[in-house]
Amino acid sequence: MLCEKCGLNEATVRFVKIENNLKTELHLCQSCAQGYTNLTVGLDLQNILSSLFQSGPLRSKIGQEQKRCSTCNLSLKDIQKSGRLGCGECYQTFEEELNPVLRRVHGSVNHTGKIPVRGRAKEHLNRQIEESRKNLEECIRTENYEQAAYYRDQIRRLEGELREGKADEKD
Amino acid sequence: MKKISSWMKESGPEGDIVLGTRVRLARNIRGIPFPGTAGRQQLKAVLEQVKDVVPFLSPFGEFSYRQMASVDLLERELLVEKHLVSPSHIQNPRHKGVILDEAFSISIMINEEDHLRIQVLKAGLQLEAAWELATRIDDAFEKKLDYAFHRRTGYLTSCPTNAGTALRASVMFHLPALQRVKKVQEVLGTVSKFGLTVRGLYGEGSDAWGNIFQLSNQVTLGHSEEEIIEYLVRFTDQILHSERQAREYLLGDSRRLETEDWLYRSYGILSNARSIASREAMELLSNLKLAVDMKVIKQKDPELLKQLLVQIRSAHLQEIMGQALPVQERDRLRASLIRDTLKK
Repeated sequence: MLCEKCGLNEATVRFVKIENNLKTELHLCQSCAQGYTNLTVGLDLQNILSSLFQSGPLRSKIGQEQKRCSTCNLSLKDIQKSGRLGCGECYQTFEEELNPVLRRVHGSVNHTGKIPVRGRAKEHLNRQIEESRKNLEECIRTENYEQAAYYRDQIRRLEGELREGKADEKD
Repeated sequence: MKKISSWMKESGPEGDIVLGTRVRLARNIRGIPFPGTAGRQQLKAVLEQVKDVVPFLSPFGEFSYRQMASVDLLERELLVEKHLVSPSHIQNPRHKGVILDEAFSISIMINEEDHLRIQVLKAGLQLEAAWELATRIDDAFEKKLDYAFHRRTGYLTSCPTNAGTALRASVMFHLPALQRVKKVQEVLGTVSKFGLTVRGLYGEGSDAWGNIFQLSNQVTLGHSEEEIIEYLVRFTDQILHSERQAREYLLGDSRRLETEDWLYRSYGILSNARSIASREAMELLSNLKLAVDMKVIKQKDPELLKQLLVQIRSAHLQEIMGQALPVQERDRLRASLIRDTLKK
């Protein structure tokens, strides 16, 4: 059989593409197959997004698709269809549905990068507190109580700073 | 719009293999729906708010604001060929805008998929420098705009694949030797394991014309911007190493004659063709650039070839001629432009 793309060489590669549950098959020669696979190396995540939204336990929840964002009025169904959120608020409205998607795409749901200048000091305090909490738990788990006391005091101090709004003065 | 972007004509670090570096940050304004959902008045409000920041960008160069609807069709295509705006940004231009610096190395798309897309382009491999500049420009905007940001999810974007850092950093490679020895797949095939992705020249879904490949990060959440840049730097080193190895292999004793013959044939066609389509021209210019970078052909200026790779694209060609041209005429002019340039 000849290559279905160039029609010149013998087809030696069977190229199977599954998209929206639709299977398409192409028989290609070595060189055309290389061109094809180059294209698909960067798997188009955005296109499979909507299918991600539809996978997992969310589908079975009856009535859930009607859930709407109070700010932009998009429903979960709209988002599933387009793979795009409507506004910043959607991230909170659909947090439960979104988290598995974020985890599958990025392997994480927690931002560790840049923080806007406004509120940067406050966010830094929050991150420090979270970090100390993790350390505290670890110390308790390993029965290192002396160190645990240190982290406990640190958390208290940081939380105090956060309450007094010291951080905001620096903004 | 008349000139070539500085990053496209200069050679830059690792310029024999890396054509350019791009860093893009997506940002949205708090309280306004993303462009795909926002109403006309809201989109207008975004344009106004962002436009008002232009005077505060002066530390980074001289900037001008353009409303996409006021840019004519050819000029819009030029912006795409210069990689200053995405192909989707020139469709339905109403309520879309762009801010450009005079060197065409910084662009801010307004109301594309997100309210702001801040882009920095640099010649050769300059990931760190591009990121540093982009984040400073971002700070300048942030002083005037209240960004949609959540402490856990980071910068909030229309597409969840961009959330978090909302950073996309890309390196544009010219890999003719790896392609020649059929190792591109092997070298680039493992990128996804590192949260990276590979695309063709014009981004998503585009083909690898002229052996040009873009490597960029896919993952934007869970790693800091510096970590993302670091992964790219490390992978870039591997690709540079592989391409250089492939070039050495092509010039090995038993291969040299075959390689030189292949490259000189490309040179021969380019110097003599009377009509040439852009795809063939890209392939042959890619070969000629390889020949010059490997010093097989010594007398040509590598920067001149890099410029040609841009100038022969359709919109640029029509811009040089000052008018829209039918395909046949474009192919004839393309061949003549290449012949003239190669005589220099």
